[in-house]
Amino acid sequence: MKRYILTLFNLLAALTLTAQEVNITVDAPERAVTGERFRIVYTVNTTGGQFIPPAFDPSFSVSGPQQSTSRNVQWINGEMSSVSTTTLIYYVVATKPGRYTIPEASFQSKKVTVTAPAREIEIVAGGAAASQSQGQSQGQGISQPAGVQAADAGTDVSLKLHVSTREVYVGQPVSATLKLYTRVNLSGINELKYPDFKGFLREDLETPELRSLETEVIDGVQYGTGVLQRFLLYPQISGEIRIEPVQMTAMVQQRTSIRDPFFDDPFFDDHFFDSFFSGVSTVPRSVSSQPVTIMVKPLPEPRPADFHGAVGSFTLSSDLSKSEVEVNDAIDFTISIKGSGNINLAGEPVIHFPQGIEKYDPEVTVRSSGTASGSKTFKYLLIPRNSGTFEIPPVSYTVFDPQQHKYVTLRSEGYSITVTGSDDQAEVAAPVYIPGEDVKYLGQDIRFIRSGNGNLTLTRQPLVKTTYYWLWFILALFLASVVLLLRREQLRRNADITALRNRKAARNAHRRLAKAKALLGSGMTEQANSELARALWGYLADKLSMPQSQITRENCHAGLRARNVEEGLITEFDSIISVTEYSQYAPRTEGESPAALLERASLLISKLDNVLD
Amino acid sequence: MRRAIAIIIILICSLPGVTAQSAGERYSQAGELYSSGDYSGAAAIYRQLYEEGYRSEDLLYNAGNAFFRSGDNASAILFYERAKLMAPADEDIDYNLQIARSRVTDRFETVPRLFFSRWFDFLSLLTSTNSWAMAALVMFVVSLLLALIFLTKSRARGRLLSFWLALTALILSAVMISLAMRNNSLINNNKRAVITCSIVTGRSAPGENGSELFVLHSGTTVTVEQELGKFYEVKLPDGNKGWVRGDCMEKI
Repeated sequence: MKRYILTLFNLLAALTLTAQEVNITVDAPERAVTGERFRIVYTVNTTGGQFIPPAFDPSFSVSGPQQSTSRNVQWINGEMSSVSTTTLIYYVVATKPGRYTIPEASFQSKKVTVTAPAREIEIVAGGAAASQSQGQSQGQGISQPAGVQAADAGTDVSLKLHVSTREVYVGQPVSATLKLYTRVNLSGINELKYPDFKGFLREDLETPELRSLETEVIDGVQYGTGVLQRFLLYPQISGEIRIEPVQMTAMVQQRTSIRDPFFDDPFFDDHFFDSFFSGVSTVPRSVSSQPVTIMVKPLPEPRPADFHGAVGSFTLSSDLSKSEVEVNDAIDFTISIKGSGNINLAGEPVIHFPQGIEKYDPEVTVRSSGTASGSKTFKYLLIPRNSGTFEIPPVSYTVFDPQQHKYVTLRSEGYSITVTGSDDQAEVAAPVYIPGEDVKYLGQDIRFIRSGNGNLTLTRQPLVKTTYYWLWFILALFLASVVLLLRREQLRRNADITALRNRKAARNAHRRLAKAKALLGSGMTEQANSELARALWGYLADKLSMPQSQITRENCHAGLRARNVEEGLITEFDSIISVTEYSQYAPRTEGESPAALLERASLLISKLDNVLD
Repeated sequence: MRRAIAIIIILICSLPGVTAQSAGERYSQAGELYSSGDYSGAAAIYRQLYEEGYRSEDLLYNAGNAFFRSGDNASAILFYERAKLMAPADEDIDYNLQIARSRVTDRFETVPRLFFSRWFDFLSLLTSTNSWAMAALVMFVVSLLLALIFLTKSRARGRLLSFWLALTALILSAVMISLAMRNNSLINNNKRAVITCSIVTGRSAPGENGSELFVLHSGTTVTVEQELGKFYEVKLPDGNKGWVRGDCMEKI
């Protein structure tokens, strides 16, 4: 029954429509980017009739038209007015830049033909990104076949990882924001999957749950955006580090219209009915962000000894709870590092607490304000075990300041603790026998430099590498050889003299004997005898190569025996010498005449000369 | 013109003034810098003195300390090793060298050298190469004198003694010459080198194409076996060999 009434209305409306003027409008952008999809929309204010499409440029890739009709029936003060429209949408992708004309299109109704004007369109070259994003869809809730939309809406949803900086030092925190961009309705996000951030230490920051999207216009396109997660990345190694894409599955809402042959009627092809009879389905789609490369610079070498990994700009403060205490009372010593940087990774400072104060491991508290700044506090519990005054030296803590590109050493105050009371309480429980304590070695360090003038000397040419050094050896050898030769020559000449004496010995002796004979003839017997003795001694001295001073009877005996002279000759020699010696003291002797003695001596010399030679 | 001459004269006069800061003064200045904590400043002065040719065990030892304190452990080891060559029996040098070596990344199972080789090196380093050379020359002359006595003396008793003494002196002279040469090669032409790059790769062939054999870190002491262009073949303390870039090491 209801349906009949509706049909009736329809008829009535058709009657009134005939009176209306038919027109057609075209809506097309004035410029578009190559590779990017744009729409050309023709709107006709009637439903019945035929649309004659324009002849698009062959370089355009055209899909469509999508036709939709709507009708509006109004009753105002008993008068009915009805508006019906037909909308035709072409999706066009231009491939080449240039100026194009979209020719006229016309619409033929039962009575009239209306023509839409031609439109000029300028296609400009898009970047690589534009050509990648081919197949974008406006997708504003217009019903279209589900398959088309799923394929087209590849970049309707995108993820982007924003990083605060792309060039950092090792340890310097990078704040990163994972942001969602969408042009379609999403019902939710599933399986947000982070990469393993190789080379980084990741710290998630508190991020409010994404409930509503904000509107943001990027390159003239409107996006719904929202921050999914904020986090801090602390680079651990140097080099160009690539952050792999973040992946997620977005639940995209899209309409699917239910086509029923019964409702295949222009009247029902209407948004009003769409919302009743078509469903909204949710399609999962996987989305991933672009990889990001971060240049991580190494910290300069050499690293100071008191650098414990803190990178950023920090200040150091210290506090001592009490400076006068009793033995065994606890004191708190606090060192805190404040500022922005990798506060979480800042290592414990090295504090040289004096001996006699017991130190416990510090209580570490980190307070960070959601970003990379905050404070880290090391609270040491100290218990003095001995009385006296102790000094806590100033703590030096070196951090690397990436803004100044250098290491900065922070220093805290030094403190003095006065401990009162006696420390013998502990010894009550100690055993009576206290052995001597070993010396406590606190650490190892190099010994101090030498003072003094250093005894600097310039390096000299090594002698073994010089020629003159070796020449000295040769010179010494040469000198020694010369000395040796000279000495040899001298010896040889001495030997020659001996030989000469040897040769002339007999002659000299005979000459002396002749002289003795002459003396005897002139009646000088004493002189003749001494001349005879001289002849014998001289002969032996020459023959035995002995100097005159060494001539004694014993030496002569030895020399003659050494030369194998007969004992008879030696006795003869002795007897002649004895006679001559006697004759000197007792001139008038009986017996042998001096002339006979001369004969004996002459004979002896001849015999000896034969033997000795 | 006159002005130019005046300037030249002033320059010439001021030249000795500029260099007048004597080595001794700079040495003590470096000591003061060290005491006040400016270790790298002290190290720079010590190194400059070394490069100008000044030597003394104290200079090298102090240079090692300054480099150690300024964080340059490799140079510290280098200078301690050099100091050790000048004073092989010095306890402080040994101690500091041991501490500096304990900070080196690379550890090796060292193959110990033969005891007489170590003794010979130790003996050769007890005094300078020139002292050994002079002693050798003196000993040679003594040997010659004794030989002359042997060759000219006629009495048998003295001859035999002088012969043996001359032979002993000749052998001693030869030993001293070899000690002088060993000392010279240890001090002036040492084959050992210290790696100065923080990390360097040893390869199977000179150049960047050889397959990688090992990785060395700064402070490691190696022995240079041969040199080919920019690459040196080094022998590690454990006996392995490989080619390493020559600009990554400094000879002791």
